[in-house]
Amino acid sequence: MGLQGQAAIVGVAQYQPEKYSTAPRMFHLEQVADLARQALADAGLAASDIDGLCVNGPHFHEASSFVPAMVGEYLGAQLNFGEVVDLGGASAVAMAWRAAAAIELGLCQAVLCVIPQRMAPMGPDEDPMAMARAMRYGGHSTAFGAPEAEFDLPYGHMAQNTGYAMIAQRYKARYGYDEAAMAKIVVDQRSNACANPKAMFYGKPLSIDDVLASRMVADPLHVLEIVMPVAGGAAFIVTNAALAARSRHRPAWIKGFGEHIISKSPTYAPEMLDTPIGPAAKRAFAMAGITPADIDVAQIYDCYTITVLLTLEDAGFAKKGEGMAFVREHDLTYKGDFPLNTHGGQLGFGQAGSAGGMSQLIEAVEQIRGTCGERQVAHCDKAFVSGTGGVMSEQTALILMGE
Amino acid sequence: MSNKPQPAITDISRPYWDALKQHQIKLQQCNACALWVFFPRSHCPHCLSDALQWREVSGQGKLLTYTVARIPTLPDFADEAPQKLAVVELAEGVHLNTTLIGLDEDEICIGMAVKPVFDARGETTLLRFTGIDKTLSVIEGQTDEAAAETGQMQAKRQIHFKDFASLKALISDEFSPWSNRYSVTQDIINQFAALSGDDYWIHTDPERAKKHSPFGGTIAHGMLIQVLLSRLTIPLGWELTGFGNMANYGSNKLRFPSPVPAGSQIHGRARIKAVDEVKAGTQLTLEMCVHVVGQERPALINELIVLYMP
Repeated sequence: MGLQGQAAIVGVAQYQPEKYSTAPRMFHLEQVADLARQALADAGLAASDIDGLCVNGPHFHEASSFVPAMVGEYLGAQLNFGEVVDLGGASAVAMAWRAAAAIELGLCQAVLCVIPQRMAPMGPDEDPMAMARAMRYGGHSTAFGAPEAEFDLPYGHMAQNTGYAMIAQRYKARYGYDEAAMAKIVVDQRSNACANPKAMFYGKPLSIDDVLASRMVADPLHVLEIVMPVAGGAAFIVTNAALAARSRHRPAWIKGFGEHIISKSPTYAPEMLDTPIGPAAKRAFAMAGITPADIDVAQIYDCYTITVLLTLEDAGFAKKGEGMAFVREHDLTYKGDFPLNTHGGQLGFGQAGSAGGMSQLIEAVEQIRGTCGERQVAHCDKAFVSGTGGVMSEQTALILMGE
Repeated sequence: MSNKPQPAITDISRPYWDALKQHQIKLQQCNACALWVFFPRSHCPHCLSDALQWREVSGQGKLLTYTVARIPTLPDFADEAPQKLAVVELAEGVHLNTTLIGLDEDEICIGMAVKPVFDARGETTLLRFTGIDKTLSVIEGQTDEAAAETGQMQAKRQIHFKDFASLKALISDEFSPWSNRYSVTQDIINQFAALSGDDYWIHTDPERAKKHSPFGGTIAHGMLIQVLLSRLTIPLGWELTGFGNMANYGSNKLRFPSPVPAGSQIHGRARIKAVDEVKAGTQLTLEMCVHVVGQERPALINELIVLYMP
């Protein structure tokens, strides 16, 4: 069951993270075309090779439905596979396996996976406050009949911070908590960001004391344990073996994946400490025929430190309840014995909305290629990538291998 | 009324909210699999049966988890700051989102037994929770705002307006304690709109503002907050004596860094920036800051100059 490992990621492109206020404004269609051109150039493939598409549906500026057809039309591509993915930060990994599955089924040969995340130019009749209104409830639906609108918002439960904080508090009550270990996740990743000139926090090292002295947002999460939203956008191209053989770089073969969706709010999960990455990672490792101990680099979705901790445990890198000891005992930098989020993670690189998760996938591809420069991990052949959407609503796992 | 989001009751959920109004808790139980259901649904999430029966339950449960939000999750919740957001597991096994009330931070512990508190202050009765040993069970009507924060009238130190040594010693980065609180109601905003002629919809049209304002409702005029400084008694701890007349000479700086949503409570504090001897007498520069209660970011900063003359 599962993939045969016959599809590979061969081209990547990513806008350097920037503040929304100063980033260029581009239509999403324009960003898709620009990122596709860059990713094709990186792969050494032609536009005419693209015959599949995975794109974000929600937050796509120029359309809320029929997005693949509109994007295909804009690119001048004839598509044998058109897919919209709506899994928040889990979308990048979700796109990769959907593309690989479509390729292995023989539906198509090269799939463009893309998420634009720069703001679009303001239209003449557009309400400048619409964005602010949309952000007011931080991704919570306010639609009539939406359970969260009726049962969460009136109590002030909204957005992500407090949801993740409550997961961390429950962890603390059950297993104990070492806030210095949590801060070390941020600090080690920041060291990685300082070896990545494209990272938002390049040149800004941090200490554990800095993290612990930063403002408490919602107990026990300090502001430096929370990602910074940035403008950006990213794309990657998945191809079959024939096209991969023509690509300019070492292909990153998609060997295993898993996806698991539990509930929109962790409140309604049977147990919020049993995160969806558990079943997702188990499936991914089994499919690839390897174990967590075989992994050379782990690119773990890091919207918050607690997400990293729980993923380390539930994906099988550390025993349940021993994640903090694992963090204390390992050097998580690119120089260390457990290289984690070698581009800085989103905590160090910046989080470009749903494209943020693509930064982790692209870093894994580049580590396998051996093109990471200063932060290159020696002999990198096997990478683990995870994605997380909502408040631990959904998680995805991916195993990439160089051979 | 505050701009807090209100539940939009559906035909499916109505029995739940109606029960809360009667200070009862009703949950759905599945006739097919006997499991309990929350939030209210059309179908059982365990077996998808549509045979769900409303039944009254005790509302007792335990604290599954919580956090203390040090930054309001929405400015409208500043009056609850710090918000004690919680998930409670009822005896029937269902989880619900709520807030804890009547508990100090050091009294809260995950796993503790909790009981319901029916909060009837808004349009809809909300279900909050407190410790099992607390007497609190119902909250009705608006809390007495005047009683909230006025007991700060101490004996004031008297300083002669020409005593520059003592006056200069008042210059400080430290703010005074907070003033009394004042509610900026829609009615006050409307009165100010009528008086000033500034009746822009973002101040005066709650319906339109609910749809189109980035703040989810109407907000007070910045100039109204400036005017309302007179309603705030800031406990400075000293007063000037010996002068014949005093005058408001104006402001060096006036800023409105954050909005005051209609229905919020404001309070203020001040610090002395400068004391100068001028031709006409003594000039005091006070930085007055007004905040929505619980908000760290001020709604008004006024660097006010007061002139004391012989």
